[in-house]
This record gives sequence, structure tokens and C-alpha cells, in this order.
Amino acid sequence: MCALFLLSLFVGKYPFTIEGLLAGDERQWLVFKMLRLSRSIVGVAGGFALGVAGYIYQTVFRNSLASPDIIGVASGASAGAAFGILFFAESLMVTVSAFGGAFLAVVFTLLLASIDRSGRNSTVILAGIAVHAFAQTILMSLKLIADPEKELASIEYWIMGSLNGINSSSIGINVALIVISMIILIVLHRQALILASDEGEAKMLGLNVNGSRLLVLMTATVAVASVVSMTGLISFVGLVAPHVAKRLTRNNSISTMVLCGIVGACLLEAADILARSVAATELPVSIFTSIIGVPFLVFIIFKGGKGHE
Amino acid sequence: MKKIMALLLVLSVVFMTACSSSTTESEVGAEVSGNASYPMTVVDQAGREVTIESEPQRLVSSYYITSSLFIALGIDDRIVGIESEPYKRNIYELSAPELLDLPWVGSPKDFDFEACVALEPDLVVLPLRLSDVADKLEKLDIDVLLVNPENEAGLIAMTELVATATNTSERGQELIAFIERVKTVLNDSLGDAQPVSVYLTGNSDFLSTSPKGMYQSDMIALAGGKNVAAEIDDTYWVEVSYEQVLVWNPQYIILAANAEYDVDSVMNDESLSICDAVINGNVYKLPAEAEAWDSPVPGTILGSLWLANVLYPDKITDEQCYDLIEEFYETFYGFSYSSITTAEAA
Repeated sequence: MCALFLLSLFVGKYPFTIEGLLAGDERQWLVFKMLRLSRSIVGVAGGFALGVAGYIYQTVFRNSLASPDIIGVASGASAGAAFGILFFAESLMVTVSAFGGAFLAVVFTLLLASIDRSGRNSTVILAGIAVHAFAQTILMSLKLIADPEKELASIEYWIMGSLNGINSSSIGINVALIVISMIILIVLHRQALILASDEGEAKMLGLNVNGSRLLVLMTATVAVASVVSMTGLISFVGLVAPHVAKRLTRNNSISTMVLCGIVGACLLEAADILARSVAATELPVSIFTSIIGVPFLVFIIFKGGKGHE
Repeated sequence: MKKIMALLLVLSVVFMTACSSSTTESEVGAEVSGNASYPMTVVDQAGREVTIESEPQRLVSSYYITSSLFIALGIDDRIVGIESEPYKRNIYELSAPELLDLPWVGSPKDFDFEACVALEPDLVVLPLRLSDVADKLEKLDIDVLLVNPENEAGLIAMTELVATATNTSERGQELIAFIERVKTVLNDSLGDAQPVSVYLTGNSDFLSTSPKGMYQSDMIALAGGKNVAAEIDDTYWVEVSYEQVLVWNPQYIILAANAEYDVDSVMNDESLSICDAVINGNVYKLPAEAEAWDSPVPGTILGSLWLANVLYPDKITDEQCYDLIEEFYETFYGFSYSSITTAEAA
């Protein structure tokens, strides 16, 4: 992760030189601090958050296919971003709107799920599917009224995800929220594991199942919403990072959760390095998270399968 | 005697009315119709041979560029169906407000086939990307021309094609002659000018720009500028990074006419604070009072003219620039450009 972070500091369109930076070239330092460093930080912090959030969702829902969208986070953020693009001109408002959309979607999911007082996980997932479908409908409606030459292109590009628009003045609050969420999730790691067990057992262990689940899921949601509201949707990181980490550690300890974050950070940072360097133009980062993630996951599965033999 | 006087009076009124109507008809006829003979066969911009049996009187356009061309050719009164949301185009309100009341036939994104057929058009003009729709309409014996004005040559070819098919070649040639005249003015005035670097932003986003294959690149070149994104070989808007813009360090930043953001948002963008264009206050937005000159509409040459006035104000003066703009809209669209800009300023 550190190597990729360092590499990302020196890959990009602006020609930095070690000599120039050491000599205190004002222009180089300004571009470095304002653009390159902040983009690299978001790559690591965002990937880490997506990896950990994916682990939390998969653990709490006891579903290895769970990802941030299982409770409507990604589709809520997309609808929110589309709303922001259509009705507000400022990019800051698009970020706020995407964050609000993601958060609102999760609140709706948990409210819907609370109708069923048994507190089963499957109810949360079903509620998430309903909210996801509703958010997709809103998104489609917004796309329909969007001007194809202006807003529609922005919405489509946002959905493909990119770290291109990142600069130092736009990341402060989001990165702070990511750091706080990660600390809370590490502290709540034990509760997340108990939530993964049978509801009855969890209650016997003295855990307030509904309250703990709400806290853990909302914290993971804040982390994911903080990332995607800055970058647009980033696919695959939240899904693949936990699988890779679990295959490597073969347990569910706190080190697995941290490793999920590290794998996610490596995946997003490597994908962003490629997105900004393989072509003359900026490419969507989600293309590369999948291109890198899929073979890596297949390799891990293959290696794991041979190990069992 | 009184009866005879009354009869003479009535006859004279009828005669004068008849004379006046025939004059009006002949003026309109002289203005737009030529002496083309039908049936005629033309080759459209998709290379299709289209035989038109008689002079088309019922026209459908699903593309704002061809709708604008119909107005410039003086045949907007023949349009029976138009693209969706025409109220978004100022030029219709200014030049042919009756178009705003016509039925919509969709847009290149979502063409409404049934609505088009229901209008029983003689001729439908569609953008090249709707070639599958053209095939379907042909099967219903509706003539279709596919056009592709995505570069300067394509715009001229489209004008000639549509003018020929609608028997308005003379008007079409006047339009082309005006475009050529402005090009000559630009070439003569900017001959020895040192090209300045220009970064043209997209409608949706400041970081999207027009690469080499886009019409906007030609517009900048005609204005004596150098499109910094011309090194990217592509034909549609591309996304670049802040770093790339700083590497190019353009002398001028020009915002698309329909950009969702304004000059201030670019001037106040911290990431661009070290860019020469921002430091020197050389950030401008293409005018959009009449129409977006950075799209290949008949008046697109005015985009180059306006840009040349911005880049080289000593070579293309305000007076030279705005006199030609005024002449263009008065001749081909029948309104005064200065009056709308004055009204907006007030």
C-alpha cells in the first residue's frame, strides 16, 4: 500500500522532478500539494474505507455477495448526485447531494426493515432491494429529463467513478469522516462479529441487536458515502477486498478487517494510477478496479482451492 | 351613377387586393424557391441515393442544426414537425416563433417514429446516427436525408444538400458565400498573427474538452488560435485532469456557450490559480444569446469571428465583428442581433 501510494505521487500528467521539488520550485510544489497528494490520499483512504465497509456488510448480513449497494448506498448516492447535477451547478453541492442520497437511502432501508420486529437480516436485505429499485427509478427519471449534451453526460461520467476532480480544497471533510468512521468500526469490530451470529445468540450475549446493527451499518454507510460523494461510484472494491483478505488470513479477527482496508486501498490506488496514465485522457477508475480485481480474486480462489486438495 | 361608382370602387378594391396578394406570393416565391426540376436524385451524407418526386412542402427535422438551417434557407414555414424541447433554442423564439407550437418528433436520442409518420412528411432530415430510422421511413415511402455536419466541410455539404433537395439552392449559396466571406476576413486579418493557445471547455464539465476531431477544434483554428487539446486524437468530448490543463497552461480558456458553470467559477478555482489564462483574466464564455456558435449550426462561423475578436482585438475589431454578426442574422434569420444583446445588457 505504501509503495503504491509513493508510486502514485509520481505518476500523472504534470512533470514533477525530484530536483525541482527539492529545490523548492514553487509551481511544482503547489501542483503537488493541491492535486497530486490529495488525489493519492483519497485513493488510499477511499479504497481502505470501501474495503472495510464491504467487510462490515458481508459480516453483518452473513452474505458473501453483500456490497455497499445491498442496503441502497450506491444507488442512493447515484440518484443524489444526478439530482445535484440537474438542480445545482456547483460541484460541492453535487458532493453534498450524493452524500445525502446515500444516507437517505440507508435510513429508508432501516426504517422499512424496522416494520418487521423480528429483526432478521433477510428483512434488511429485502428492504435494501426495494430502496435500491426505488432509487434506480428516481435515477432513470432524472436521466430522462437531463439534457443529453450537458447533464446526462455528467451523470453518466459520475456513475463510472473517477478521482479526477479531487483537489486539496474539496477533500477535507470527507477524509475526516472516513478516518472517524474507520476508528469507530475498528472499535465496534466485536459487535459486528456478534451480529454475524444467530440473533438469539447475540441477544444472549447481551447485545442490543437492533441498536448495534444500526450503529455499525450507519457508520459503514457514512464511510462509503464520504468516498463515493467525492469520486462517483467505484465498483468491485467493497465486494472483492473482503474475499481476498479472508482467503489470506483465514479468520475473522480484527487483522482481517484491517487487511480488507489495505487490499481495498491497494486496489483503488493501483486502478487510479492506471486511469490517469494509460491514455492521453482520464479514464473511469471503475474499469480498472474490475480489471485488476477479477484476476486477483480468481488467483486467490485457485490458490485456495489447490490448498484444500 | 352611384351604383356604377360603387361597382368601380368594389372592383378597384378587389383588383388592388389581388395585385397585392400576387406580389406577396411572388416575393416569397422569389425569396426561397428556385427552378429545380423534379423528380431529382441526390446523394446524402451517408452516401444513399434519394429520389425526391416533387418539391417537398412538408418537412420534419429531429435535429436542431437542420431546423436552424431550414430557417436560414427561408423554408421554416414548411416545417410540420420539430425536435423535442424547441423552447430551449433562443433562435426559434427570435426568428421563427411558430416552430415552438409544432408537434415534436423526439430527438436523436429518442426519435418518435410514429409521431413523425403521423405528420405525413414529404422529406425528413435526420442526423447520420439515425440511419436505422431512415431505413424504416424509406419502407413507408417517406424520403429521408441523412446529414453529418460534424466538421466544416460536412456543414457546407449539408447546406448544399438540403438546399438542393428543397429547391432553395440560391439561398444556400448565399449562406455559403457569407461563410466564405467571413473566412476570408479572418484569413486576411490574422495572416501573420502568432497563434495563441486556447483551452475550450465542454458544456457539462470544466475538465471535458474538445479534441482534434471535433468541430470546435476547427473553430479555434479559424480564429487563429491553437487548440491545446488537438494532440488528443478523438471525435467527441474527452475528460482530462487539472494537471493536464496546467501542463498545457493555455493563454485563453473559453467556456462552451451552454456551459453549466460560469466564468467566475473558473476564475475562482484554486486548482487553476497558476494557469496563465486565469492569472491574466483571459477566461471568456461563448455568447449564447442567439444560438451556440460552438455547435455546427449555420451561424457557427460567427463563433470563430467572435473568438478572433477576443484573441486578437487589434486585428478583428469589435465593429468588424459585430457588423458581420448583425448582417448574418438580419439576412438569414430576420432579426437584429444588437437589439437582443442590448436588451439583455439592460
